[in-house]
Amino acid sequence: MLDYLSLAFVVAVKVFKKTTPNGKVTVYLGKRDFIDHIDYCDPVDGVVVVDTEYLKGRKVYSQLVTTYRFGREEDEVMGVKFSKEMVIGNEQVVPMVNAKMELTPVQEKLLKKLGPNAFPFTFTFPEMSPSSVTLQPSDEDQGKPMGVDYCVRTYVADNEDDKGHKRSSVTLAIKKLQHAPASRGRRLPSSLVSKGFTFSNGKISLEVTLDKEIYYHGEKLAANIIVSNNSRKSVRNIRCMVVQHVEITMINSQFSRHVASLESREGCPITPGASLSKTFYLVPLARSNKDIRGVALDGHLKEDDVNLASSTMVSEGKCPAEAIGIVVSYSVRVKLNCGTLGGELVTDVPFKLLHPAEGSVERQRFNAMKKMQSIERHRYENSLYTNEEDDNIVFEDFARLRMNEPE
Amino acid sequence: MATNYTDDIGPVAWPLKMVSQEVVEHMLGWNIPEEHQDLVHDHWRDFPAVSKYWHYGLALIYTMLMLASISGNGIVIWIFSTSKSLRSASNMFVINLAIFDLMMMLEMPLLVINSFHQRLVGYQLGCDIYAVLGSLSGIGGAITNVIIAYDRYKTISSPLDGRLSRVQASLLILFTWLWALPFTFLPAFRIWGKYVPEGFLTTCSFDYFTDDTDTKLFVMCIFIWSYVIPMLLICFFYSKLFSAVRLHERMLKEQAKKMNVKSLAAGKEDAGKSVEIRIAKVAFTIFFLFVCSWTPYAFVAMIGAFGDRSILTPVATMVPAVCAKIVSCIDPWVYAINHPRYRAELEKRVPWMGVREPDPDSVSTASGATAQTQNAAADA
Repeated sequence: MLDYLSLAFVVAVKVFKKTTPNGKVTVYLGKRDFIDHIDYCDPVDGVVVVDTEYLKGRKVYSQLVTTYRFGREEDEVMGVKFSKEMVIGNEQVVPMVNAKMELTPVQEKLLKKLGPNAFPFTFTFPEMSPSSVTLQPSDEDQGKPMGVDYCVRTYVADNEDDKGHKRSSVTLAIKKLQHAPASRGRRLPSSLVSKGFTFSNGKISLEVTLDKEIYYHGEKLAANIIVSNNSRKSVRNIRCMVVQHVEITMINSQFSRHVASLESREGCPITPGASLSKTFYLVPLARSNKDIRGVALDGHLKEDDVNLASSTMVSEGKCPAEAIGIVVSYSVRVKLNCGTLGGELVTDVPFKLLHPAEGSVERQRFNAMKKMQSIERHRYENSLYTNEEDDNIVFEDFARLRMNEPE
Repeated sequence: MATNYTDDIGPVAWPLKMVSQEVVEHMLGWNIPEEHQDLVHDHWRDFPAVSKYWHYGLALIYTMLMLASISGNGIVIWIFSTSKSLRSASNMFVINLAIFDLMMMLEMPLLVINSFHQRLVGYQLGCDIYAVLGSLSGIGGAITNVIIAYDRYKTISSPLDGRLSRVQASLLILFTWLWALPFTFLPAFRIWGKYVPEGFLTTCSFDYFTDDTDTKLFVMCIFIWSYVIPMLLICFFYSKLFSAVRLHERMLKEQAKKMNVKSLAAGKEDAGKSVEIRIAKVAFTIFFLFVCSWTPYAFVAMIGAFGDRSILTPVATMVPAVCAKIVSCIDPWVYAINHPRYRAELEKRVPWMGVREPDPDSVSTASGATAQTQNAAADA
């Protein structure tokens, strides 16, 4: 109840809606981004409003569907499809099967407002289900981008096996995202490596330490680098970069992309006997990698405020290798160039890039920042407000992408 | 067996005339002038000359094949090279194959002319031109099949980064031409092997009859180079491709199991169809076509060089040539017609062909449009 009051008090509840092409069925969702808090995940809670006369004994079904796309559409030859669709939740919404289902606050509110023709549905993500990830396509790629995405599909049919008709079906794309745990931890990731040379004595050692273990999107990352040269070679320059590692588990392949990098000759060459201590600052951003194909992003591209994919987190007790879908991880890689004959000294320090946890101070700051960006982009200008004063529900039309449709 | 008697002699009178030696039964090669007689291998002289009806029949078959090849390969080249949606590195190979097939088609008018003369026109030069076309296009086509198999294997086994770049594709196409060159020009310049008339003595191919080590070695090498190697590679790439697909399917199923998913489909309409079976079908079709086109030729050449030549009658040796040509007409269709974008493009440009293909790009928009029209109708 407190929750309900505070919602009404603070700000209007925003609700997303989308109607079937024939206008008979409308689906309402409280949000589009569902957060996986590692130990539990937001349920997909929505409400279907249907013209019961239109149904004539037919039923309304809803499905939670995840689609893997692991190859370009135009490369599909010999009847191979580089995409897989999996129905991870299936529910008969109208007529209601489970009349005593627990309702979420948004559902309660919507049911109250939308009247007797509104029916709730709730899906829970399977425990192992992967996060939404989109791999950035290159300019020449056609078709749907690669990645993992989710949608809620609602259709009218006689029975469960019947697939329904396009005109009476509606699909809402949603995202499943992961947020950082409430505390960032105190551990500072670091790595110490050294390199000897075949024809000369002595070693060059390199120590890299990061100032945090978990970074939030858009945050500046500081890598403290200490080089001590006890060899006879000298270090020509230092390269420091943020590497995004992407593992596509469904086809067992992986690649990495440099999402931020810096090269420095300051203090170089580091001559034999000398040492250097230096801090590199890097900000890995999706914005600065717009033209690199394959960079993993959080969810859809249509949104302007898309960010780099968050690190994949697994619940405690599970090993990261068990994660499915597209697994994303990050590391800071430092490369010392020891001249043409000396080769390179390389080390990787892993870290996590995530959204701040809900409710934390950082979260509020993050949201404020995001909102500002959004306002700049007039993101909400075109959205549909049907703001009614009594209970503060704002309906945003989900179908922003669908073109002008007749009523 | 056909003989060459003049039309005014009835069949009944024929034995009598034979006895009286009024008519001499011509043997193959009779109508080739003295100075070019060395073109014809003695083997053929043991057979009676082929009736003009056989010649005309063959000319008719070749004319039909020529039309089929020009239309099929021509449309493939036209559509693949002018559609933006089809301009990919992989499709360059399909165009290359169509070019080789068209080159094989160029043989056909030569044969038609030869058939009406019932002998080779142009003697050695005509023979060389005919055989160069056949050899270049045959070997080139075979190796292009291999390259297509390789490209498909690359794209399917690693969908992320397996695709060949344009530069790589161009180099591979150059490679197909280089692969076809040695066994085309070595015999043409009499460096190794030579081109001689065969069968009805209206077509030409490399010499597999001369009874010396040089020729036998040549036949052996061309057999391995243009038949065995491509066939093994095609088998190799398609089987690798097949196991890659199976691996992906298995991994996807495992992932689905982790999420308690029962149905696993690429799209609604594909439910229930096994990808493996589809792949196996296409791969087998391509392999089967390759076998159909070149096994008869390989068989004839090997028999000619190493086996019992007496079974190589003129008609028997013409069969492989026709087989190879038929496949060159079918080839582009097999590759192109399996291509959804090609079919969509074909439907757009040549609507009277009756190809119906939902455009892969605009499935949803198209259905949206129909929904709108229906709505409009309902409103009205």
